Amino acid sequence: MSTKAPVAPAPPKTIRQERLARDGRRRRPSHPAGVNPLREGLRLERVPDPHVAVLFGATGDLSHRKVFPALAQLWRTNLLPADWALVAIGRRPYDDGTFRMDIAESLHRNCRVQLDEESERQFLDRVFYHRGDFDDNTLYDSLTAKLEDMHLEHDTRSNLLFYLATQPSAFPVIVGQIGRCGLDHEVHAGGWRRIVIEKPFGRDLDSAKRLNREVLKVFRESQVYRIDHYLGKETVRNLMVFRFGNGIFEPLWNRRYVDHIQITVAESLGVEERGAFYEETGAARDVLQNHLLQLLSLVAMEPPATFAADALRDEKLKVLRAIAPPSRHDVAREVVRGQYDKGWVAGVPVKAYREEHEVDKDSETETFVAGRFEVDDWRWSGVPFYLRTGKRMAKRASEIAIQFRDVPHRLFADANTDPQPNLLAIRVQPDEGILLRFGSKVPGLGLDIRPVTMDFTYGTAFSTDAPDAYETLILDAMLGDQSLFTRADEVEAAWSIVTPIHEAWLDQPAPAFPNYAAGTWGPEDAEELIQRDGRNWRRL
Amino acid sequence: MSLSSAPAAPGQPMLRWHSRAKSIDGVAAELGRIWKAISLTSGGPDGDERRVAARSSVMNLVVIAGRGEVGERVAAIVEGLSGRHPSRTLIVTPADPDGPAWLDAQIQAHCVLPSDAAPETCSELVYLTLGGESGQHLSGTVAPLLIHDLPVTVWWPGEPHFESRSARELLPMADRVLVDGSGWSGDGVPGLTAMAALPARFDVEIADFAMLRQARWREAIASTFDRPALLPFLGHLDRIGVHYAAADGQPGTANVVRPMYHVAWLASRLGMTVVEPIRAGTEPWSGYAGLLRHGRRRVPVALRPMESPAPRGTTLNVQLHATRNRSQLWVEVTAYADGVVVQASLDREPLPERRFPAPRKREADLLAETIEAAGKDPIGADVLATAARLVA
Repeated sequence: MSTKAPVAPAPPKTIRQERLARDGRRRRPSHPAGVNPLREGLRLERVPDPHVAVLFGATGDLSHRKVFPALAQLWRTNLLPADWALVAIGRRPYDDGTFRMDIAESLHRNCRVQLDEESERQFLDRVFYHRGDFDDNTLYDSLTAKLEDMHLEHDTRSNLLFYLATQPSAFPVIVGQIGRCGLDHEVHAGGWRRIVIEKPFGRDLDSAKRLNREVLKVFRESQVYRIDHYLGKETVRNLMVFRFGNGIFEPLWNRRYVDHIQITVAESLGVEERGAFYEETGAARDVLQNHLLQLLSLVAMEPPATFAADALRDEKLKVLRAIAPPSRHDVAREVVRGQYDKGWVAGVPVKAYREEHEVDKDSETETFVAGRFEVDDWRWSGVPFYLRTGKRMAKRASEIAIQFRDVPHRLFADANTDPQPNLLAIRVQPDEGILLRFGSKVPGLGLDIRPVTMDFTYGTAFSTDAPDAYETLILDAMLGDQSLFTRADEVEAAWSIVTPIHEAWLDQPAPAFPNYAAGTWGPEDAEELIQRDGRNWRRL
Repeated sequence: MSLSSAPAAPGQPMLRWHSRAKSIDGVAAELGRIWKAISLTSGGPDGDERRVAARSSVMNLVVIAGRGEVGERVAAIVEGLSGRHPSRTLIVTPADPDGPAWLDAQIQAHCVLPSDAAPETCSELVYLTLGGESGQHLSGTVAPLLIHDLPVTVWWPGEPHFESRSARELLPMADRVLVDGSGWSGDGVPGLTAMAALPARFDVEIADFAMLRQARWREAIASTFDRPALLPFLGHLDRIGVHYAAADGQPGTANVVRPMYHVAWLASRLGMTVVEPIRAGTEPWSGYAGLLRHGRRRVPVALRPMESPAPRGTTLNVQLHATRNRSQLWVEVTAYADGVVVQASLDREPLPERRFPAPRKREADLLAETIEAAGKDPIGADVLATAARLVA
């Protein structure tokens, strides 16, 4: 008896055959596998996968002020999965109970909305303390064993989110140890591994490159989430919607219509208890390298082809690369540094920077920096970007101001007042909103022109309470969305602008610090910097 | 006319303007005067001008208040939304339908200071009482008073009459209609069917407070299936049950719009089709029953009344049962004072309980939410259309 091997049906060749073959198949489900169709139309169309978060530096100030309150808010609003737990790693001698009490106190102090008793209990029950030194092998060996148990106990499917809220010097050690224990390895059937790294990411171009190398020896770039909390702020996120969700602004967003752009991040606070940290950092490293240059890149970037993380970051990177690293001559002429003296802020006398706790009496650290930068690309060539940031300034205000060009022809030559050029101001904080200034005729027989403003304020237009930037960013990291995180090449591109400034300062004689009084808008040189071009800083 | 210039406390609404008119032209003239009378700027400390009042530019809100007391209740809600409320609210109350035509309008401007440094935000409120035949010609009365270029929302509290002349006149100029289906008489089912037909007839969006209030339930139910191990059960539901509050268990006496929306939402999201529409039983406490199809599986649906002190028609719990590979999943979502709680068991093994604290939303919250969510709501539209099919 002969047996015939079953003959496989011939694959369809014509479009008709293909259609008929498809008709014969079972109808596919209307939603892709792994997607919860009930989520469609809800607040979040996707919630994070079950996972264990591992927080290094859990006893530190950042964790208490920002990370735990953000996590607690996410828990309160049911944005964390039910199968979630956190291992808090620190050096202090806590156990689960005492650490939870400590966190509870912080939550009461720092949460923007207090948790009810039940939610707080549920949240704290998921926090486990694990004591150890970051450079001690036994910490990571015991952590590995603990995580294995927790995955089983909490059904977290081997998903791990590492969060480094430690001193930057500990980053390479922790990352190396994670790699040594294989905790970075993603498991085939699910089991993602991600790492969130707080700024500062390096202190110059070389150290940033070294750190990137260390991190990328262990993790792939797609697993790394470098936090710049400014990118999580509602107004900053709205900037993209404002630019690319409205048709009327983008045609004007170029050298033809824009005269110049000012970006200010002003703080009224001093260095508080962070004198030692600030002495090693300064305003350029603390704010210019990250917040200011990130804001600049968001303002100046081309529309990305999609809203995908890499499409966005590619465009931001192009902007940073279009800013030429300043020469020593450029730094001397286009960059101003300052340090605050004693003065009055909000009606209260405050001390000089050199009198602050843990600050050198002869400190040369800058608490203010302002600079004029140019983005040498087709869109922005010739348009100056004036950036400034400082501590102990007249008030806390962060703003992006796009100053449009003057009208090409003075039609109203007889008017008593010249029309002022149009201005679009995007307030990042406080009073988040957007303001557009234009000229209007003053009612009457004469022809007077007065600037008037159209003012959109978040607080009056929406009742919804905006989430804290940390809530947004932590949730995005849990969801695997890297759009609001900086990529290694972005970080390096930003350092390649800031590092030459530091190097030039090292070659200059000691600065005549202090050079501005607390409670003012910075040193006089900063005024000169912009007035040289016939312009003025905006009065905020 | 009266004008208040008292300084406002942050967050506290202030009546800044009040006047009266007897004609549409008179109302329009008074509305124009408000913005001349309220000072928009004042001298700042260093000689510059500071904005002190801004008119909100969000939308027109037209409220059809069948009775005077409904108008007062609505006005109180709208005033409470100061700072983020509609630019102009017209509260229309017909009166004395058989008498001569007349119009009485009270014109008010309410302002609020969102914070110390911010400008006051103001909006206008017009109470229109329309006597005699005036009350029959709403489009001619309302249209001249709308701020052009702003969307128009018609809020119809109480029992709307979608087939009435008022509806035919007003709805073509509306972008959105707000109702509260949970307040309709009887079981509310006929209203549901009539309302589902409105988008096609008038090209309007429908927002039903009864549906909006269920957001916490939907979050809670969806969250159960966020667990990867439970998600596959969603394709294997074999029973849906909803218990609602009732007083006497007589069919048709408790409004079942809310329980119906629960089923409609699940059916719409999971692509279920109706095999047997949901119908009321004939016996007391028998509730409603129907049959859905999910793929090849038949899914019985039961809406069951339960004696409860809660208002009639309030959802007490939603129960889902699914069987997959001989494993059984049981999910029960139950309301408690300030939220809902999800209890589930897999093969009789209880899973950790999860609470969704969310205080019950007031009409003011729902109105604010609806105003802010100005865009289209395809999910809501689909749920409404599914609800209509469930009871067809």
